[in-house]
Amino acid sequence: MEHTAHQHPITGPKVYAAVLAALLVLTVITVTAAGVDFGPYNTVIALIIATIKASLVALFFMHLRHDKFDAIVFLGGVFFLAVFLIFTLFDINSRHTILPSNLKEPVKEFPGAPLNKPVQPSTGTAPVAVPGK
Amino acid sequence: MSQATTTVQAEHEHPPFLQHHFTGMQQQFDATKLGMWLFLVTEVLLFGGLFVGYGIMRAKHPEAFMAAHHHLNRTMGALNTIVLLVSSFTMVMGVWAAQTSRKRLLILFLVLTLLCAGTFLGVKFFEYQHKFEEGLLPGNFYTHQGDTVPGQFMFFSFYFMMTGLHGFHVVGGMCAITWLLIRAIRGDFSASYYGPVDLVGLYWHLVDLIWIYLFPLMYLIS
Repeated sequence: MEHTAHQHPITGPKVYAAVLAALLVLTVITVTAAGVDFGPYNTVIALIIATIKASLVALFFMHLRHDKFDAIVFLGGVFFLAVFLIFTLFDINSRHTILPSNLKEPVKEFPGAPLNKPVQPSTGTAPVAVPGK
Repeated sequence: MSQATTTVQAEHEHPPFLQHHFTGMQQQFDATKLGMWLFLVTEVLLFGGLFVGYGIMRAKHPEAFMAAHHHLNRTMGALNTIVLLVSSFTMVMGVWAAQTSRKRLLILFLVLTLLCAGTFLGVKFFEYQHKFEEGLLPGNFYTHQGDTVPGQFMFFSFYFMMTGLHGFHVVGGMCAITWLLIRAIRGDFSASYYGPVDLVGLYWHLVDLIWIYLFPLMYLIS
């Protein structure tokens, strides 16, 4: 009981209400932005808005702005998720085909597809490479 | 036995909710909070695997994902986003009520959070029901007729796995909040002891955080 006093001031309802209002406004913005054609940037814009919302939740609702140590722990997890995502996408995008290494040629039918709807194998947008060697 | 326990407690003058292996309430609070954050990191990585899978398949099959997402109801998705954001607000208000020893307000906010969670699952139920009727199901179970773009079953594999796993987390959160509610009614929480409210709150906000990303990725592809 040596530390009965709080280390940080308690955030009050006014701040929380303001954060909620900001989150709701951002939700409206993201839905509106999805209706406008920004070409390939639509997904980027949606993810930026989502990240702003997530930051608001983490900083205010989860009190990370008063909690440096736990913030580092959490950002460490997010960092490794980013490594996971970015390096996997590098790898995938530098291949023409995604096939199990024991297959010698592209499959004509995706294993999970219903038989009446043939589906191309996961060959990406690039032309199918001739599976030699 | 109980007499001996009482004697020990009297000798040390323990705060009632201090576990014996902690030196004080503040240490107990900080340690359990760190434990919760470590758990939340494992949750991020659990969902992370699904997000990476989604990213790969969407990058490879943009047309299929684009066509498939039109089967989702954007209004229902937006409604659920709002419901979950409000529930996060009521949860954090519950934490504030506990921090300031407002027992009645704490109970009120916990009940409101539960109601929001129930609303979320209710909306989700109707969405799932619609997809089951249309045959918009993962992998081999996809029986929707009249598609012009092939491969839409992939989108629904991710849709059901990700929103399904998220839904289980909502149910888990509801169980935890019910537990808090019982303890709050019993009068356990006050300014000197509100750790469990804070920790369940952190978990609940993470569930909200994951939905913040799921919503644009599932409903707002364009």
